[in-house]
Amino acid sequence: MTAIHLQGLTKRFGPFTALQPMDLEIRDGEFLALLGPSGCGKSTTMNMIAGMEKPTGGRILFGDRDMGAVPMARRGVGFVFQNYAIFTHMTVRQNLDYGLRMAGVDPGPRTAAMAELLGLTDLLDRPSQGLSVNILQRLAIGRSAIMEPAIFLLDEPLSNVDAAFRAVMRTELKSLQRQFRQTMVYVTHDQLEAMTMADRIAVMDHGVLQQVGTPLQVYNRPANTFVARFLGAPGMNLLPGHAVQSGSAVQVDLGPIGLTPPLPGPASGPVTYGFRPEEVTLDPASPLKLPVTHVERIGARCIVHLGPVKAVFPAGTEIPSGVVGFTPGKPCLFDAKGGRI
Amino acid sequence: MTRAILRTLAILAALAVTLIPILWMVSMAFKPPSEWQAAGEALTWVPRAPTLDNFRYLFGQGGSDLIATLDRTAVKPILSSLLSASVGTLIAMTCGTAAAYGLSRFGSGANLPLALIQLRLFPPMAVMIPVMMMWAFLGLMDTWFGLALVYGIVTLPFAFWLMKTFFDDMPKEIEEAALVEGCTRWRVFTRVTLPMMAAPLAAASLFVFILNWSDYLIALLLTTREWVTIPVYMASLSSSMTGQLYGAKAALGLIAAVPPVVLGVLIQKHLVRGLTFGALKQ
Repeated sequence: MTAIHLQGLTKRFGPFTALQPMDLEIRDGEFLALLGPSGCGKSTTMNMIAGMEKPTGGRILFGDRDMGAVPMARRGVGFVFQNYAIFTHMTVRQNLDYGLRMAGVDPGPRTAAMAELLGLTDLLDRPSQGLSVNILQRLAIGRSAIMEPAIFLLDEPLSNVDAAFRAVMRTELKSLQRQFRQTMVYVTHDQLEAMTMADRIAVMDHGVLQQVGTPLQVYNRPANTFVARFLGAPGMNLLPGHAVQSGSAVQVDLGPIGLTPPLPGPASGPVTYGFRPEEVTLDPASPLKLPVTHVERIGARCIVHLGPVKAVFPAGTEIPSGVVGFTPGKPCLFDAKGGRI
Repeated sequence: MTRAILRTLAILAALAVTLIPILWMVSMAFKPPSEWQAAGEALTWVPRAPTLDNFRYLFGQGGSDLIATLDRTAVKPILSSLLSASVGTLIAMTCGTAAAYGLSRFGSGANLPLALIQLRLFPPMAVMIPVMMMWAFLGLMDTWFGLALVYGIVTLPFAFWLMKTFFDDMPKEIEEAALVEGCTRWRVFTRVTLPMMAAPLAAASLFVFILNWSDYLIALLLTTREWVTIPVYMASLSSSMTGQLYGAKAALGLIAAVPPVVLGVLIQKHLVRGLTFGALKQ
């Protein structure tokens, strides 16, 4: 059980900065998701925690031990790779107990228990070559988990498995973590995985840590327009506007769309007005008006495009045509640089 | 329909070009001297009087009234070819694999790998005279190990480049997975990397072995009498009375075809499977 402290962690590849100096504390026994689009620096961060890459600057501490000079074999971390990295010349059992054999531990009982847990018992003596990707990823998770590492790192482990199996594995991974109480760092670009499994989410973009918080914190109170847009499907509506002070409150002039209801707090000049598609309601009396341009019906929900705005309603909702009035629900206000006001 | 016929004809033509000379060699190997050349009677595909005399002759038995007994048998040349080609292959594969792994995993830039392949831009013959002088000085002339050393050096770039391509294709995550589990670098190499490389290693070894096995010119220059190889020995199979000993040459050719064929059959599984890392996202 170990907390991970990243202090001013930086990584540059030649002239390219993959990770701007980053401070992050991952608590003991916490499930933290590193979430961001491809190339945002999340895997680089993970590789440095594992010791596969050397930081250009900053420090990594496990508890109070500085990991700077500790090679990856001695860090005692478990690592699950996106592409499984199964040793294809070995059987399922040999893969599963590989770490134990390396450590000179009797693999018998623990291998059996782990195989049972992951439903691999019947496959133990099969060659690992030719097994389905679902099984391979399960095996890869088992191979790391069997060592009961205090820190468990997973690099997009579910991005290659099929959708149905992904849902199963999300639940299994979470219960695995509850059972062993490891500190778990989970890299993903899939917000659903991050939202459903993580205790906290660290959102990254372009090598910069954007926001750290519980799933609901980052969803409801995004720190900036990137986080607002990245989380949610579809992401938050962001409309450019002009803040107009009215007493102690602020209204945003959205140009032809209209003038928003008052919001608390001082603001002035150009701002971005954000609100969740799920919170939009249709209201003929609302001062905000936009034409219905497109309706996507996707099973349980329908996504209504009102010009630049997206709104999500239950499937059966009657959608009027033409120009409709709408209320935005709980709005967020961002300044000209995209930061939350 | 026409397409299928043309296709079949093309395949037959290609097969004829490759197989007829080999079949002719097989036929010749079992013909007595009277059937080697069209003297009086027409040449036939099937020997009229099949005999093993050619093989016996190569190993010093018999000889006929037409041909004088050989002053040396084919035993030593076969031994010489086996020793020099396999030890040469061992040298090339060991050094080539080690270099390829090092440069693939830890090397930077393309200069060194390119420099190595540049050795192949240079015809080996261009340096053989200097090599002969060095080998003479070192006492390596006309020895199997002197020849093996040159074979190893000449085929090293091939071994290196083949193995480098394979190592480059092998995802580093597999090794990192083993490293994270607490394996040392050396152990990762011997227990994970090399076993997973079994197929490429086998394929590259066979390729290098065949290059060494079929060399004529280097052996011609570096061996004189004691350790001549099969190709050099084969060229010397003639007699003052009958000229070229076609039957004996064909018999020796048949013997020379055995090791590559046997090796090929032994590692066929690996050759066919080639390089498939089935457990990885391709």
